[in-house]
Amino acid sequence: MSEHDARRRAQLAWSLLLLSAVLWAAGLAAGSEGWSPRDLTALLQGSDAALIVGEIRAPRTLGAWLVGALLGLAGAVAQGLFRNPLADPYLLGSASGASLGVVLVLAAAALTGQGMSMATLDALQRVGLVGAAFVGALLGVGLTLLMGRGTQHTLRLLLAGVVVGVMLSAVGDLVTTSAPEALRGKQAFLLGSTGFLSWGSCAVLASGLLLAAPLAWRLSRLLDALSLGEDSARSLGLALPRARLALIVAMALATGVAVSQAGLIGFVGLVAPHLVRRFAPSPHGYSLLASAGMGGCLLLLSDVLARSLLAPVEVPVGVLTAVLGGSYLLWLLHRRGLA
Amino acid sequence: MSAVSLLAQSLSVCLGRTQALAGVTLELRPGWTAIVGPNGAGKSTLLRALAGLQTLQAGRVLLNGVALTETSPRMQAAQMAWLSQQGETSGDLTVREVVHLGRLPHVGLWGSATSQDEVVVQNAMLQTECAAWQHRRLHELSGGERQRVWLARALAVDAPMLLLDEPTTHLDPPHQVALVRLLKRLAQQGRTVVSVLHDVSLALQADRLVVMKAGRITHEGPHDDPALHLELSAVFDDAVRVERLRERWIAVPVLDH
Amino acid sequence: MSWRRCAPAVVALCLHAAAWSQTTLRDDRGTALVLVAPPQRIVSLLPSLTESVCALGACARLVGTDQFSNWPVSVLKLPKLGGLDDAQVERIVALKPDLVLAATSARVIDRLQGLGVKVMVLESRNHADVKRSLNLLAQALGTPREADAVWSKIEIDITAAAAQVPARVRGQRVYFEADATPYAAGASSFIGENLTRLGMANVVPEALGPFPKLSPEFVVRAQPEVVMATARSVSDMPQRPGWSALRALKRRQTCGFEPASYEMLIRPGPRMGEAALVLADCLAHLPPPR
Repeated sequence: MSEHDARRRAQLAWSLLLLSAVLWAAGLAAGSEGWSPRDLTALLQGSDAALIVGEIRAPRTLGAWLVGALLGLAGAVAQGLFRNPLADPYLLGSASGASLGVVLVLAAAALTGQGMSMATLDALQRVGLVGAAFVGALLGVGLTLLMGRGTQHTLRLLLAGVVVGVMLSAVGDLVTTSAPEALRGKQAFLLGSTGFLSWGSCAVLASGLLLAAPLAWRLSRLLDALSLGEDSARSLGLALPRARLALIVAMALATGVAVSQAGLIGFVGLVAPHLVRRFAPSPHGYSLLASAGMGGCLLLLSDVLARSLLAPVEVPVGVLTAVLGGSYLLWLLHRRGLA
Repeated sequence: MSAVSLLAQSLSVCLGRTQALAGVTLELRPGWTAIVGPNGAGKSTLLRALAGLQTLQAGRVLLNGVALTETSPRMQAAQMAWLSQQGETSGDLTVREVVHLGRLPHVGLWGSATSQDEVVVQNAMLQTECAAWQHRRLHELSGGERQRVWLARALAVDAPMLLLDEPTTHLDPPHQVALVRLLKRLAQQGRTVVSVLHDVSLALQADRLVVMKAGRITHEGPHDDPALHLELSAVFDDAVRVERLRERWIAVPVLDH
Repeated sequence: MSWRRCAPAVVALCLHAAAWSQTTLRDDRGTALVLVAPPQRIVSLLPSLTESVCALGACARLVGTDQFSNWPVSVLKLPKLGGLDDAQVERIVALKPDLVLAATSARVIDRLQGLGVKVMVLESRNHADVKRSLNLLAQALGTPREADAVWSKIEIDITAAAAQVPARVRGQRVYFEADATPYAAGASSFIGENLTRLGMANVVPEALGPFPKLSPEFVVRAQPEVVMATARSVSDMPQRPGWSALRALKRRQTCGFEPASYEMLIRPGPRMGEAALVLADCLAHLPPPR
């Protein structure tokens, strides 16, 4: 690569690292008093430091970054796989699958006493919303792969993803009409929230990232080869179907873990790869990991703002990612219009 | 450079309702073979079938005596380099990074590139005259410049066989000439070069020509074969005539009727 | 000829008669509603309005309710007509109601009025709203004095409830969770008003509005003395990061309500008095802190 490119990539990497560190520190100072370093110092000197800072703010800050990183990674994989800059991690039915899982658990809980056996209910409560969302996301992607009959044809896979998304949404709506109490829980889930991320959630998120990121990174050359066209990529001796399946699994895993912990947060997976491409265009080996870092910073920034703007009232974090991400996309369009 | 032989036996391909190939049998040996014919003759389909990229309704392709379906994709990729008719430009790769992708059959998804790979990549770029802008991105280049990059990518595979679909697309005359010289050189090295060419004059510089029409091979022979020249006129509905100019055969469009 | 002399008298008599039974009311939109006679076929699209109609003794006149109305038991067998957002217009009109009760911001209102159905919009967000709604409803039903009876019963219940709250608990700060997001009930909501009448304070300052979406950290730092929520939420609370440190949870100063009681607590209707009694009962039975 040229000197210029190498320099840009290094600059972006260092900036993301620095930005993450700054945002982590900022996250510790954002709480029910708004963004207030003075409040933080007061807390640290008082007796509540371990509780407020250690058990509430710190895991939430780290968790928000990890969720953003998972979504950024999944978004970069989706955009590379489908060679489409508008692809996002929810393309293959993971969002509707997760929300259907959540609705089913909420509805089952609400339908207590209407013929559900105690054992089933107990099992459902143990699995909980987190498990339901994760399993739902994976099943949604699995259904898409089944309908698209494998990963051979990108267009068919995309269409299958759209169909599965619509179908599962419809089933979810059907369930909420018979159990309307589930509707509120579902809407809260759809809005996305980093509010209750604990150290346990961080452990789950980190494991997800440690599984999905290396897998995707190892297969990044496949995404580069795909940019030449499917036939050319095949003629280079790559086992396209198997490698594509592995990438989809990595994407589903990352999205499933993120969605199960924080609900459906939009725009992060879509915008993070764009921002990376803007600052340092590069082959996928670099841009997948950089998108993870960028996604982490983007969501963490949104979370800090969500906590600070109207404290102690919290703005839903999905609203802020939409505002930040959407504004960036609007600006992009505006620039293209001028060019 | 170990010689590679490719044998196509009774290939039949159906695309939708059209019979794109109907029982095509062809043997390819070292040297430069050009496939010519009118639009819709099935030239690209044949090339894709030879590269193992096309589902066959009947027939098989044998690479060094072994059926393609039984050869590992990676080994096949190291033996055959294929250049597509239409190039895609998604992504942000630079010229150099694109040409590097040609080393994938040797390096694989996870291996690291060696200095040998670097040498091959550099050579490929020099041969197609795109080394000067190796750090520019594909979408910043013109059509002709991009075509040379894709060609370099195919050359970087350093395979004993090259299957090139319309390699002269977008190229201006100097670069077309350079390409012809390159293909001749590669053929002299003992490689098997197969190219689909719509320009019959350029095709006549190859060692052998294969003439196709309506999914079948109508004639096959060395470039100076008079029967071939007659067949060329026939297949193009007498719109061209093969004539000798100095030491070369060229195809002249027939305008006086 | 006698007809001509009778005519003006007949006309005057008719006008007079009309003036007796015709009522004009202004509902909460400010729209004037003219009722020629007390309505006999009523559709209610809000559970609290259903309860109000029944409390005012006109339960028999209900012909249909929304899907969430479930008190008293007799309304369960009435046709269910969807919620506020997806009210089944066709079925409502087929029931030929002479009055439909709804809350504001329901799209169905314009549609129904366009079809010639009379709609009365009543807002009930706090105690004042409930009192006013009861009065308006009672007038519409033709039994204006019933509203006072119902309201006095509510007042009596609330006063009795306030008396039940033990002195040691009085004045303590309550966190009432309306939703697990968390949304809290602030002092300006009707739940908050109930708590205030019972002599309790609220961790949520009035400035934040009736149902603010809080940051979880706020609740932990506020350290409410009493926590009130659904029974399921109360049992899940210790798992939320940092919430296990809530003193109220550790000392079991919690009120976890079963779904049926919780539903009554969050409905601003004629059962507010009973709701206050339920709250007071829980407060009275809080274990003494160690």
